[in-house]
Amino acid sequence: MIVVNNKEKLEWYEGMTVQDVLDKMGYVYPRITVSVNDRLVQKEDYTTYEVPDNASVNVFHLAHGG
Amino acid sequence: MATKTKAGPTKYEISINGKAATVVEGTYLLKAVMDAGFNVPTLCHHKDLTPNGTCRLCLCEVEVNGKKRLVTACNYPVRGEITVNTSTEEVKKHRKNLAEMYLGRWPNVEAIQNIAKLCGATDKEKYKSELTDENPKACILCGHCVRACSSFMIQDILGFAGRGIKRHLTMPFGDVDPHCVGCTSCGYVCPTGAIQITDDMNNPVDPELIRRHGMKVNAEMATLDKLQNRMREVGTANIVEVMDAYDLLPVHNFKFGKHPDTPKIDSKVMTRDYFTQGAADACWLGCSMACAKAVDGFELKTGPYKGQKVVVDGPEYETAAGGSNMGGFDLDFIVEYNFYCDTYGIDTISFATTMAFVMEAFEAGIITEEHTGGKKLNFGAMDEALECLHEMARGEGFGVEVGQGVRRLKEKWVKELGADPDFLNDIGMEVKGLEFSEYVSKESLAQQAGYAMAIKGPQHDEAWLIFIDMVNNQIPSMEDKAEALYYFPLFRIWFGLLGLCKIVWNDVAPADNSKYPPQEAAKIPEHVENYWKFFEGMTGIPVNEEKMLLQAERVFNLQRLMSYYFGRGTREDDLPPLRAIGPATVEEYLSREERYDKQMKEEIGIDPEGKTVEEKLAITRDHRFKQYNIVLDASYKRRGWDENGVPTIERLKQIGIDIPEVLALLEKPEQ
Repeated sequence: MIVVNNKEKLEWYEGMTVQDVLDKMGYVYPRITVSVNDRLVQKEDYTTYEVPDNASVNVFHLAHGG
Repeated sequence: MATKTKAGPTKYEISINGKAATVVEGTYLLKAVMDAGFNVPTLCHHKDLTPNGTCRLCLCEVEVNGKKRLVTACNYPVRGEITVNTSTEEVKKHRKNLAEMYLGRWPNVEAIQNIAKLCGATDKEKYKSELTDENPKACILCGHCVRACSSFMIQDILGFAGRGIKRHLTMPFGDVDPHCVGCTSCGYVCPTGAIQITDDMNNPVDPELIRRHGMKVNAEMATLDKLQNRMREVGTANIVEVMDAYDLLPVHNFKFGKHPDTPKIDSKVMTRDYFTQGAADACWLGCSMACAKAVDGFELKTGPYKGQKVVVDGPEYETAAGGSNMGGFDLDFIVEYNFYCDTYGIDTISFATTMAFVMEAFEAGIITEEHTGGKKLNFGAMDEALECLHEMARGEGFGVEVGQGVRRLKEKWVKELGADPDFLNDIGMEVKGLEFSEYVSKESLAQQAGYAMAIKGPQHDEAWLIFIDMVNNQIPSMEDKAEALYYFPLFRIWFGLLGLCKIVWNDVAPADNSKYPPQEAAKIPEHVENYWKFFEGMTGIPVNEEKMLLQAERVFNLQRLMSYYFGRGTREDDLPPLRAIGPATVEEYLSREERYDKQMKEEIGIDPEGKTVEEKLAITRDHRFKQYNIVLDASYKRRGWDENGVPTIERLKQIGIDIPEVLALLEKPEQ
């Protein structure tokens, strides 16, 4: 089990990447910052960076509307 | 070894002077070399400008599949596993020769002298000729200014003319181009001082300070916007599809947050089929963001200009989202109502939100064709909505009623038609008599309060906190929300008073903004600082967060007191309709039943099992109003207002506006 933004819980599986988490959450916004257990993950690593079980994933949307 | 993954970028392991480096495909070699800690001389390169390889000083040797060749590193994209050597004997020989030629032509320019030193070139005489220019501030034809004009300002005022030894910098036809707005980008990037800024309009105290921060803004527009929100390409409309994806796009009078037909009105369609203009001239001549867009040659299908081809300014996000709110998933309709609202002087947001309310009332049977002049005003009735708009402008028929707005329609239908006031108050999307702008706020308490507490009514320009609150969960506690509802309205009021635009504050962000902790990052600290420096550069008065908030708070409290004086500034005026804070109907509850049931179980602590939808709706309603009132209390407290939302005398004293004229506003006139 992993927790996204200290709120949403997702089932964890072997090989789960940051991109898998973003897909699962429906996070399509272009300006986001992702950290896994407080470690910043670069955009080019989203598809390769594996999220460990029990991880806390923060996906920070730098939203600009309004 | 190249690593390719399903959707990610390809990366290559490359060797630079024997040192291994991992580089994302397409990275320019100069950047890779610099990142690896090696220095390569260059004259024409500038970190914020498109590389063009003209000075050729950044030559490096690249080995691909055993074949060696020289390339200009600044514009050589890495596309494979390569071995790089930045200083072979051959490379050094070429660089020295080039540097000697530069030195021969511009012997006294400091930038050239520095480069010559780096490349071991000392002989000023070797290439001395009739072209030699002894001016220490001579133009060295690096092209920084030409590229800055083009990439920062989307203009081509400056350019090169002539070939070979006759090449020179000029404006078109050698004359001063009237299109030049004097942005000073060219002077800013000029490495020699050949371009000097001699006139500073409006007499700023420190023009250099303003320029320094203004150029940061320009550079971000040129380099980051295309990777972030594409404001230059599509303007604010880029968030139509984003709002749909996050269930925030208003559909059918804010009932829902997404719709299968959204792709018909998203920014991709606008860019492909509609937008023809996007230059730095639409709202502020010389703006490097140039987010305003326009549609040329649009043939109108209705109204007094039917059949004529017109230019339409927009559509922006709110106008497109007004379309989905009315069920009008057709850009022809959206562009047409956009044009006529502009032409008639009607706000697109108020029109769309009122029309969506009318449509729901029509579908609920509160009004019928008898009241609408025969128009069937179901959601998606685009021709009929346009007819209402034309009637409104002509002062005829049902359109006149629509033009009164949501609040008066509610009052009228209760009084004249005996409509259920509770239902109309639940679904009528207005606060303080102003219609909601186009975001679904149901899942963000902070946004609900940001809307409903806004002094002018539910407009997003005080506090737009949906993502910070609902998606990022950055302000989880009531106190956190209250703090955001304190800071953001004040910051936005402050820069609004200065006449600064919101867009360059947070529609683009510095590449390293993520270095700040999330709550700070949301403020975009470097851009807030830009605004402080603009203020300081203009007035000579330094400003920081404390001073800024104090300046803004005085105005904000004065505004609130004036609202109070005129009867619109107490707690009851800050209460939103049910639909703004949660599901208002069975249909809405059922459309997101899983979400609401889960919330009931986890947040309210009531098991939804075995309850009717009506019961669940009532429980959700009570809970959400309670939560709303808690956030309202916390915000009033943070702002120094009493529980009725009125600024306290103590607070007015603290911020230094407890003068008799202000205190007199606390005495309400006789209503």
